[in-house]
Amino acid sequence: MDWGRLRFFLGEVLTNFTRNAGMQFTAIGTVAVTIVLLGSFLYVRQTLATFGTGVLQQIEIAVYLKDDVNDAQARALATRFAADPRVANAIYVPKAEGLKRMHDVLGKDFDTSLLTANPLPNTYRVHVKDPDSVPNVAAWIAKDPRVAKTDYAADTVQKLLRAAAVIGRIGIALIALLSISAAIVIANTIRLTVFARRREIAIMQLVGATNLYIRMPFIAEGMLAGVLGAAIAIGVLAGAQHEIVPKLAQTLAFVTFDVNGPQLCLELLGCGAAVGIVAAWYSVGRHLRA
Amino acid sequence: MIRLRGVSLTYPNGTRALDLVDLEIEKGSFVFLVGHSGTGKSSLLKLMYREELPSGGEVWVDNVRVDTLRRGKVPKLRRNIGVVFQDFKLLPHKTVWENVAFALQVTGTRTRDVMRMVPRALDLVGLSHKSRMFPDELSGGEQQRTAIARALVGNPKILLCDEPTGNLDPSNTTEIMELLQRINLKGTTVVVATHNQHVVDRMRRRVVRLEHGRILHDDERGYYFRGLGQTAVLPG
Repeated sequence: MDWGRLRFFLGEVLTNFTRNAGMQFTAIGTVAVTIVLLGSFLYVRQTLATFGTGVLQQIEIAVYLKDDVNDAQARALATRFAADPRVANAIYVPKAEGLKRMHDVLGKDFDTSLLTANPLPNTYRVHVKDPDSVPNVAAWIAKDPRVAKTDYAADTVQKLLRAAAVIGRIGIALIALLSISAAIVIANTIRLTVFARRREIAIMQLVGATNLYIRMPFIAEGMLAGVLGAAIAIGVLAGAQHEIVPKLAQTLAFVTFDVNGPQLCLELLGCGAAVGIVAAWYSVGRHLRA
Repeated sequence: MIRLRGVSLTYPNGTRALDLVDLEIEKGSFVFLVGHSGTGKSSLLKLMYREELPSGGEVWVDNVRVDTLRRGKVPKLRRNIGVVFQDFKLLPHKTVWENVAFALQVTGTRTRDVMRMVPRALDLVGLSHKSRMFPDELSGGEQQRTAIARALVGNPKILLCDEPTGNLDPSNTTEIMELLQRINLKGTTVVVATHNQHVVDRMRRRVVRLEHGRILHDDERGYYFRGLGQTAVLPG
């Protein structure tokens, strides 16, 4: 390893970096804002995904049987359900058990002593493999002569899925726009550095430095701005997670907050570096070609 | 070493800087390019280090055809050619030592070699004792000597000088011309574009005179003005 060469290179990068401190701050700030939004978006999307998957797995079709269907006939239905590939499982809940469950859930507010007979029907709780097939399966089951009625939380689920898809698309568009503006700010900052160093660049070209060599310090500068921006953003996100998420978790107890920290950090740093490198490459390239 | 065949150069604005120039410069020779401003002296030099491309003709430097050279090969050509300008083109925030070392460092020379080659170049131009000074602490002649050290530190075969004494007083001019002569004696091909009549007439080297982008005359041991010789030298 030639330490002299490394020191020379790092010296050049540092001189570049500190030359336009003001612009550099703007560039880093833009990257930071972009990455904070990107991070929050990924966070929300992952949380929604976790939440949605949980809900979808819990979606079941309640199948209420007619009163005149006896126990044996009812149990025979199970084989029909099992034969259908779309069905994950079907649990038979006789009316007595149904009443007991209701009692367990509602506790002492539910006074069974007033009832002279069990008002609940015999019920199947059917789970499907693919949440999208819920409406079809429910319609198919409803045709059976033994079935009085089917019920599922169709609208709610579909609205949730649609909302998740729309949020995903808006988020991606927003982040694409922000990344482009961050790249433009970095590119402009580096253009200023290139301009400030045009004498050095002219001499480098005169004495026979390769274009790649001339580019390197600027690429490093762009990458540094990107990574610093991302690091600030990660700090902000970590602070937000520490402060806000516990409060949210209290209000929205049913949502589990679970984001893979280290991996997300690496991805965000990578995004910052990539934006910086692309911007710098473009910016210096324009100067070298001119 | 340098060969131009039927070279023309027309700038995008329509100015015809060179018109069918044929010129051959042998290895190890010392050549003056003379003529008024705007007669194509600088353009001719620029073609040699491929700062400009000719609109017609062929440019050969050290057996390499320069005018059709791929962009990626230009750095290698330039490492073989040192260039010196009227305005020195030194980096103000670097010391003499750093300015000279810069040429080696940006071409990926190992530090060990930099440490060996820079002192040798500074010694050649007589600036070893001022290596830690900045350009604005030096006289014009010393600045030009720094620029020459930078041009020569990588041991190029050719040294191109574009009005090297244009910003210097007579005593510094003499100093620089003597240095260029010493460099030439060591085997480097030296081409000097100048309109300093005094310098040309005193040195009595090959003189190529350009006018309106054409070679007007080309004399071994010539004068600035053909046939007039020393009698035309004005005082100062």
